[in-house]
Amino acid sequence: MNLFALTPMQESVLAIVGFAFLLPQPKGRKVAVGIAALIASTAVFVAWLYSTYGRPMPDILGTVLFCLFSAGALGFGTVLVVQANPGRGAIAFAFVILSTCGLFLLLAAPFLMAATIIIYAGAIIVTFLFVLMLSHAGGPSAENNRSREPLLGALAGFAFTGLVLFSLYLSQGGANAAETPMTAQRLPAQVLTLEERNALLAAVEKLDAVEEYLGAGTTPPAQRRSVVEYFEGIRDQIGTVVGSNTLSRDGSISVRLEKLPMSPGEKVTPLRNDKQAQTVLRQAADIRKQNETAFDAVVNNVFDGKPSRETTKSELRHLRDDVVVLAGAGGLPARNVGNLGYLLYADHLLAVELAGTLLLVATIGAIAITQRKGAVA
Amino acid sequence: VITLWHYLAVAAALFGIGLVGFLTRRNMIIMFLCAEMMFQGVAINFVAFARYHGNLQGQVFVLFIIAVAACEAGVALALFLMMYRRGKSLDATDWQSLREMGVPPTVDTVPLPVEPVTEDEHLAPAGVRPKHVPTEEEAARV
Repeated sequence: MNLFALTPMQESVLAIVGFAFLLPQPKGRKVAVGIAALIASTAVFVAWLYSTYGRPMPDILGTVLFCLFSAGALGFGTVLVVQANPGRGAIAFAFVILSTCGLFLLLAAPFLMAATIIIYAGAIIVTFLFVLMLSHAGGPSAENNRSREPLLGALAGFAFTGLVLFSLYLSQGGANAAETPMTAQRLPAQVLTLEERNALLAAVEKLDAVEEYLGAGTTPPAQRRSVVEYFEGIRDQIGTVVGSNTLSRDGSISVRLEKLPMSPGEKVTPLRNDKQAQTVLRQAADIRKQNETAFDAVVNNVFDGKPSRETTKSELRHLRDDVVVLAGAGGLPARNVGNLGYLLYADHLLAVELAGTLLLVATIGAIAITQRKGAVA
Repeated sequence: VITLWHYLAVAAALFGIGLVGFLTRRNMIIMFLCAEMMFQGVAINFVAFARYHGNLQGQVFVLFIIAVAACEAGVALALFLMMYRRGKSLDATDWQSLREMGVPPTVDTVPLPVEPVTEDEHLAPAGVRPKHVPTEEEAARV
């Protein structure tokens, strides 16, 4: 434990002082002192982040954008909390949302960014501005110009933050930072090249046309050869990416992620420690196995009629689904919406239905609550 | 290089700021917005972990957070409207009669600063003032 283990506490104390002075109160509000304390707290926070996790930064653009968006989120969040005028608070909240959406975009979540902007900055802010308009009263009022226990409230909030930061420090990122190479903590790089993705998607398209080749009934002997060749083409196409036993070759994924070092001087392949790369490699291994199984099923079905047509088709469908998920890996922005939809309706169907029910119940509840007694004739 | 831990730290700070606001502010709408800000902190965590593990499960969670937040906003808005109709104020302390037994009530001792009331400025009348004696109603309105 060194000096920097303690900085979350210094940061928290400064932030507590800052908020205690800045929160709206009739008496004892010292804006200058509060802002100075908050700036000092931010400086400590940034210094701590930099010295614990930051190192010389190759990705300058990403770093600058991250700093911009996180500073925006935290700064406007502070304005929302300490601003006495609720209208200005609502606008500050909209900016918090915009900054968070920037962070989402940096984290490869474009669909969430759009959804959050539409729902929060659009719908919620506008409805609340309506309510604020209804309740507008000129001059200072108890609800806007008084705070409940500013010191204790700030203490509770920032004690929590300090604790979280401290436990973050104790986790892999900080305490073991000296031993863990920084590359292990890097957010993932590209794990799937454009060619590989295109090959997988082409294979998916061919797998979608499976009904044409494996329709109802058995395949007449004259066509058996062409059907098997068709599936052989699919198998080889997938095999070039994930590897194949029949071709006795490694897939291009494992060649790139496992076998080759990143750059000439680098001994440890950073991608091997990368969770995303590990996931992709595991998925590729599964598909490799499933690819062989499905092809064997097709050959046996076409020539022997065993296993049954339905089993064969379900094997192929299984293969197709796995390939779709792999094709969406890594390049999250490119296939974000499609994969999100796939995941929602494949794995979380019940939750989607429940969310829909919840929305319906909330609508009914909102109407029931606001109804005036006797207003309905 | 920006790592996962940077995002987690920012998210924790955002959550903390929201928590402070929720605990201290008395305007119910501001309290609600602060709760939404805490949601955003959690959402950043989810998305950062999704990116770190290279799958989309975290983003799916955030979608559900958004759905629940939308429901919450609708119901909260309805509640605020109803409470405003009853109490003519958005102050959460007005409803402190609902507090736990044995907890002393919050009493505001320090008076609010009084803003000096300024008359609305009138334009200087131009031209000749018309001969018009205002009726009682007009006088009361002007």
